[in-house]
Amino acid sequence: MKLILSVVLSAIALAAQGLDPAALLKPATDTWPTYNGDYSGQRHSPLKQIDSTNVKSLTLAWIFQAHSAAIKSTPLEVNGVLYFTVPDNVWAVDARTGQQIWHYKYTSDGGDHIGHRGVGMYGNWLYFTTPDAHLVSLNAKDGTVRWNIELADVKLGYFSTMAPLVVHNHVIVGISGDVTDVPGFLESIEPETGKVEWRWSSQPKKGEPGSETWPKEGDAIEHGGGMTWMTGTYDPDLNLLYWGTGNPNPVLAGEGRLGDNLYTCSIVALNPDTGKLAWYFQPSPHDVHDWDAVETPVLFDAGFQGTKRKLLAQASRNGYFFVLDRATGKSFLTAPFIESNWASGVDSRGRPIARLDKYPKSDGTLVEPASDGATNWMAPSFDPDSGLFYVIARRVISIFYHTASGKAEGWGGRDRNLWANSVIEAIDYQTGKIRWSHELGDGEVTAGILTTAGHLLFTADNAGNLMALDPETGKTLWHVQAGGHVVSSPMTYELDGKQYLLTAVQDLVLVWKLPGD
Amino acid sequence: MCTLRGGAAVVSFLLGTFPALCQKPKSEAVERGRKLFQSACGFCHGNDATGSRGPDLIRSALVNHDKDGNLIGPVVKNGRVEKDMPAFAYNNSQISDLAAFLHDQTQVALHSASVPRDYPLEKLLTGDASAGKAYFFGAGHCDTCHSPTGDLAGIAKKYTPINLEARFLYPGGTRRMVTVTLPSGQQVSGTLAQMDEFNVALRDGTGWYRSWPRDRVKVEVRDPMEKHLDLLHQYTDANVHDIFAYLETLK
Repeated sequence: MKLILSVVLSAIALAAQGLDPAALLKPATDTWPTYNGDYSGQRHSPLKQIDSTNVKSLTLAWIFQAHSAAIKSTPLEVNGVLYFTVPDNVWAVDARTGQQIWHYKYTSDGGDHIGHRGVGMYGNWLYFTTPDAHLVSLNAKDGTVRWNIELADVKLGYFSTMAPLVVHNHVIVGISGDVTDVPGFLESIEPETGKVEWRWSSQPKKGEPGSETWPKEGDAIEHGGGMTWMTGTYDPDLNLLYWGTGNPNPVLAGEGRLGDNLYTCSIVALNPDTGKLAWYFQPSPHDVHDWDAVETPVLFDAGFQGTKRKLLAQASRNGYFFVLDRATGKSFLTAPFIESNWASGVDSRGRPIARLDKYPKSDGTLVEPASDGATNWMAPSFDPDSGLFYVIARRVISIFYHTASGKAEGWGGRDRNLWANSVIEAIDYQTGKIRWSHELGDGEVTAGILTTAGHLLFTADNAGNLMALDPETGKTLWHVQAGGHVVSSPMTYELDGKQYLLTAVQDLVLVWKLPGD
Repeated sequence: MCTLRGGAAVVSFLLGTFPALCQKPKSEAVERGRKLFQSACGFCHGNDATGSRGPDLIRSALVNHDKDGNLIGPVVKNGRVEKDMPAFAYNNSQISDLAAFLHDQTQVALHSASVPRDYPLEKLLTGDASAGKAYFFGAGHCDTCHSPTGDLAGIAKKYTPINLEARFLYPGGTRRMVTVTLPSGQQVSGTLAQMDEFNVALRDGTGWYRSWPRDRVKVEVRDPMEKHLDLLHQYTDANVHDIFAYLETLK
């Protein structure tokens, strides 16, 4: 009886205040309830009050000063409240006014503070990963801690930066840590108790399928790799979770781990209820350049060579654009989206064929792109109206050194960047051809992309300009100098019939709207 | 610059510098621990502790949680009979040295994500200096701007080998020159201070900063590094190693 009562009560609580996970299936326009806004990862909003005809008149609604490290997270917006993060910190802010509602400060026991992507939400609870590889559940009402669990041992070099993804009654959480040869995994956490429901390992155990892609002898497979440090996507119809994994270990020294090294640098499809692998596709077999395949696996249903398909597209860190059948993992298209020099072609399974002479060498090897990648964690976008896939594309030429002597541990080498230039590209997903390319300046752009039904594409350049472009042509429609290098991705929401555009610049949250009340 | 890590490397790149760690001399305890480890433990765990017949200790949870031998000590003193590890009758100071060595080895792995500033010349010196010289005066046309007896005299003494290689490939920090033609036809030249899609700014010959909207003026940028960039897109790795070998002769 007690159990039934608590179930009824929690259902009421979900409906009244928090975020019902069922609402994630088709998010309302007055919410941005997950890292990518919805499960598809398209970062395309149906909002169109701000459009290509009026964007020039955008004005500031409010500014929030976090007095913190640079904001790399994408805020959630639920019931008029924004939730965003930097490492060790969560803020709840009134989405109408910018007033702080609460601020939670975590004290981490060491760990890596490189960045943070944001929180996940289930009911009245937030889920926050920490630099020392814990997961903290907070009460969304006041930022108080409900529970705190360890995801992995920080002393072994694990940390976590990702925004958890809530699917049904599972909190899906990933992990980081590629400097110390530790194996990666993805976990499903029970939202009320913090109990681990399943753990999918980024590398098979010896003897399991996939283990043949690692050396039989030695412990390379146990070092593994394949960190799950970006938020994945989800298809409710197929009930499949799509997740990218990072590099194998040691990062640049591959001689001790000959083979493809599954499931590192891969896109994997998992059942969210069991963690069972449905299929995988590996953009970078036997990676030795740190090209994590963690970039958002973007889901859309669209025609491909005359047939409507359930597609998954990723512009990957290695400089290649991949289009897959997301039911099976079969490759439909592989095409480079920048100039690169590390592959000699594409094999019959759609995987780039690495050139052995472009592996890191002790006397240096010129490789394009650099380990920073042709793109990285900055969000791409797919616009169903234009049918184009948008990505921040960087040309980075680097010289890769293999520095390890003896058995390599950790990285075993490093590349040194020599020159970089960035553009935003619009890719035709059916051909891989670049429809248009918009120059963003020398250096590496780290801003993400948002498209909207107002025929707008929002991003930022390398000089601190926030910009709105025409998604069809790439022409600039609006810009403002925001005074800092943007390391976040824009998002949008509607409240009281008014559309807001949110851009984080360093530790400032700038929120824009059209003039008038 | 001795503590740069991945994230900072990006920043240093934006600033036109490079991640390069200096290797600190090891403490006496680490060196004593190394000798002890290699004589007693290396046969099973590998001389560098990365594992052999016995497990890799660098990634061991116990080693990583240890403080000055508090966890390592009991294992060494008692052995692990079930895993065929014998006991070693070491005193506390020897345990402390072993721990210092193992912790140092974990730090080496942790900080392996960089090329040391003192990366050895012999590792880089794989090219043919005469082929590099031929490229310098031939296909590369480097002698258009540079001279081995002029600006490059003694260049190999000026930079560490690893920095010389990066620097000849693409030198950072050099200002571009710009000429801005105003609507009146007047031209203003200077060093480029800032330019994006919307505005251009320079410092003129008197040192004053001036800026204009891009859509009102004509802008001509001259990049002294343009030829370096062209070559960077053309070099084979053999070219790189040959040119480096040639430049290293310019002591």
